[in-house]
Amino acid sequence: MIEAKNIDFHYGDFHALKNISMTMESNTVTAFIGPSGCGKSTFLRLFNRMNDLIPGARLTGQCLVDGKDIYAKGVNVDELRKNVGMVFQKPNPFPKSIFENVAYGLRVNGVRDQAFIRRRVEESLVGAALWDEVKDKLKKSAYELSGGQQQRLCIARALAVSPSILLMDEPASALDPISTSKIEELIHSLKKDYTIVIVTHNMQQAARVSDKTGFFMLGELVEYNDTKKMFLNPEKVQTQNYITGRFG
Amino acid sequence: MTGKRTNQRIAFWIFRILGLIVVGILFWILGFIVWHGAGVIDWKFLTTAPTDGMTGGGIFPAIVGTCCLIVGSMAVAFPLGVMSAIYTTEYAGNGKIVRFIRIMTNNLGSIPSIIFGLFGMALFVNALGFGDSIIAGSFTLGLLALPLVIRTTEEALRAVPDSYRTGSLALGATKLQTIRRVVLPTAFPNITTGLILAIGRVSGETAPILFTAAAYFLPKLPTSIYDQVMALPYHLYVIATSGTDLEATRPIAYGTALVLIVIVLAMNLLASFLRRHFGKKVKTN
Amino acid sequence: MAMKHTEKELTLLREEVSQMWGLVLSQLEKTRQAYLNDDAELAREVASREKRVDTYELKIDSDCENYIALFGPVAVDLRLVLSLIKISGTLERIADLADGIARHVITGECTALPAAFKEELRIGTMFDTVISMLSDSFVALDSENTKLSGRILAKDETVDEIYHDDIRLLSEYVQQEPQGARCAMETLLIARKIERIGDHCSNIVEEIVFYIDAKILKHNRNEE
Repeated sequence: MIEAKNIDFHYGDFHALKNISMTMESNTVTAFIGPSGCGKSTFLRLFNRMNDLIPGARLTGQCLVDGKDIYAKGVNVDELRKNVGMVFQKPNPFPKSIFENVAYGLRVNGVRDQAFIRRRVEESLVGAALWDEVKDKLKKSAYELSGGQQQRLCIARALAVSPSILLMDEPASALDPISTSKIEELIHSLKKDYTIVIVTHNMQQAARVSDKTGFFMLGELVEYNDTKKMFLNPEKVQTQNYITGRFG
Repeated sequence: MTGKRTNQRIAFWIFRILGLIVVGILFWILGFIVWHGAGVIDWKFLTTAPTDGMTGGGIFPAIVGTCCLIVGSMAVAFPLGVMSAIYTTEYAGNGKIVRFIRIMTNNLGSIPSIIFGLFGMALFVNALGFGDSIIAGSFTLGLLALPLVIRTTEEALRAVPDSYRTGSLALGATKLQTIRRVVLPTAFPNITTGLILAIGRVSGETAPILFTAAAYFLPKLPTSIYDQVMALPYHLYVIATSGTDLEATRPIAYGTALVLIVIVLAMNLLASFLRRHFGKKVKTN
Repeated sequence: MAMKHTEKELTLLREEVSQMWGLVLSQLEKTRQAYLNDDAELAREVASREKRVDTYELKIDSDCENYIALFGPVAVDLRLVLSLIKISGTLERIADLADGIARHVITGECTALPAAFKEELRIGTMFDTVISMLSDSFVALDSENTKLSGRILAKDETVDEIYHDDIRLLSEYVQQEPQGARCAMETLLIARKIERIGDHCSNIVEEIVFYIDAKILKHNRNEE
C-alpha cells in the first residue's frame, strides 16, 4: 500500500506537485493520467525515490510505503528500490544477455547462489509472460528481442528482486498495439501479486487496466476516483474536459 | 537556375580538388618513405642493434624501448584518465568545478609536447630523482596522453544511455555497482579505442622523451624501469640529424620511419576496427 | 473556440435525434386528431409516415455505433451516445404505437360509443398528456436541464390513473351494453397503447437524466 500525504515537490523554482494526498491500495492497479508536464511522472518517481537524482529537488509531506516513511532518515534507498520496482517508458534492457538482464538485480543485491538465480530468472520470465518466447535463447543479447519483448524483459527484470510494488512510467507508449495489449494483459495478471501504479498518456489504456484513476493537471491531483466512475461520470469538469478531449 | 547549378558545380569541384590534394600529400609522404625505407627492412634490421656508429645493424633496441614506453605511459595515463573521466561524468554533476576541470583538460591537451618534456625532466628526472629512465619517460608521456584518454573516456561514458543508469539504480544497485556492472562494460569498446589512439600519439612523440628517457645510442636492452632506452622517434631524429655519417645512415632512417609509421597506422586501424566491431555489439535499438 | 470535430459529430447526432423527435411528435398529434375526429384520411397519413420513423432509427443507430467505434467516447460523451441509441429506439416504439392507434381509426369499426361516455373516458386528455411528456422531455434534452424530469414523470401517473379508470368504466359499459363490447375493447386497446406511450416517455426522461446527471432512475424510481 502506498500513501502520500500532503506532498509538495519543487524543482528549483518550479512547483511541480501541489499538496497531493492519495492512497493506493495493495493489489490494485492505479493509473495516473493528465497532460504532459502535469506532474504525474514526477509523482510516480517519488515512490522509489528516483527524483533524488534530480538536482535542486525539494520535497515536503509524507510518502509511506507499507506504512513506512520512505523519506525518513536512515532509509536505505537501495533496499527501497528493490521493493518498489520500476518499468520505464522506453524499454531499457542492459546490453547483456537476456539471462543476465533478469539476474542483474539479484547479483547487485548480493545473491551468489547460482541455482537460486536460475530459478528466479525463470520464475520472473514466466511472470512477465516472456519465458516461452526466450527460453531457448537466454544467452542471446537482450537487444535481439522486439521492442515489446524488451519491455516484458524489463518487467521480468523488475520482478526478479521480488518487489511488492511496480511503478510503470508509460510502459507501452513506445510499443505497437499487439505488444501494448500483451503488456496490458500482463498488468492484469500481475495485479494479484503486486501493487501497480502506471502513468499513461493513453486514456483508453488507463480505462482498460486500472481499478482507480488519478487525474493530474498543473501539479494538482484534480480527481482520484474509481476508474469506472472516472470514465462514465467524472466529478470534476476539468476531468471531463480532459478525458473527452475538450481540454485546452 | 543554370547559374545556380554552375555555381554548385564549381564549388563541388573546388572541394573535391582540395580533398584530393590532402589525400595526395598523405600518399606522397607514405609513398616516399615506403620507397626509400622498404628496401632496408628485413628480419635482421628488426632484430639487431645498431652497429658501426649507427651506420649498420638494426633498430631492435629502439623498438623494444618504444614498446616499454608505450606500456609504461599507458599504465600511467589509463587508470588516471579513466578514473578522472568517471569522476567528471558520473559523479561531479555539471557544476562550475567540473566545467573548470574540463577546460583545463583541454588546455592540457594543447600544451606543446616539448614543454611536457621539460616539465618531465624537471619533475621526474631531477626532483624525483628517477634519472633518464623508462619510468620518467613513461610518466611524461602518460601526462601527455592524459587529456586524450580523459576526453575519449568521457565521450565513451556519455555515449552510454542514461536509461541504463536509471534502470540499474531502479533495481536497487548502488551507483558504484551501476558504473562497474553496466556503464563501464558498455563504454569499454569506446574507451579502448581512445586508449589505442593515445598509444598512437605517444609512440610517435620525440620531444617528451628527449630529456627524460631516450638514449642516443644504447645497443642493449633495458633490464629495469630505471634504465634508459632507445626509442624509435628519437632514434630517427638522431640518425637523421646528428649521426656520424648522415649519407650512410639515410636508408636506415627511412626504414626506421617506416617501422614507426606502420606501428602508428596499425594502432589506428586496430582502433577503428574495435570501434566498429564492438560498436555493433553494444548498439542499442 | 472552434468546435472540435468530435463535437461536430455529436452535434450532428443530436440533430438527427431532434428531427426524429419532431416527426414522432407530429405523428402523435396527428393520431390524436384522427382519433378525436374519426379522420381516417389523417390516420392513413400517419400510417404511411411510419416508415420514415423506422429509417431515422436505423440511421441514428448506425451513426451512434460509428461514433463509438471511431471516437471511443468516455464520460459525458459516452453517456450521451448511449442514451441517444436508447432514445431513438424508444421513439420508434412510440411511433409504432401511434401507428397502431391510427390503424384502429382506419378500420373505423367503432363509432357506437355515446359521446358523453367518450368524454368520460378522457382519451383526449391521455393523448394531450403523453404529447406534452414527449415535447417536455425534448426540451429537457435540448436545454440539458433535468429539473423538468420530476414533472414529466408525474404526468405518467396521470396517464396510468386514467387508464385504470377506463378499464373500470369500459368493463361496466360492456356489462350494460354487451353489443358494444367490440367497440369497448378497441377503445381499451387504444387507451392501453397511449398508456404504453406514457411509459416510453418516462424511459426517455430516465435516459436524459442518465446522460445529464449520470443518475440511474430506472427500476428504482419508486424507492426514492
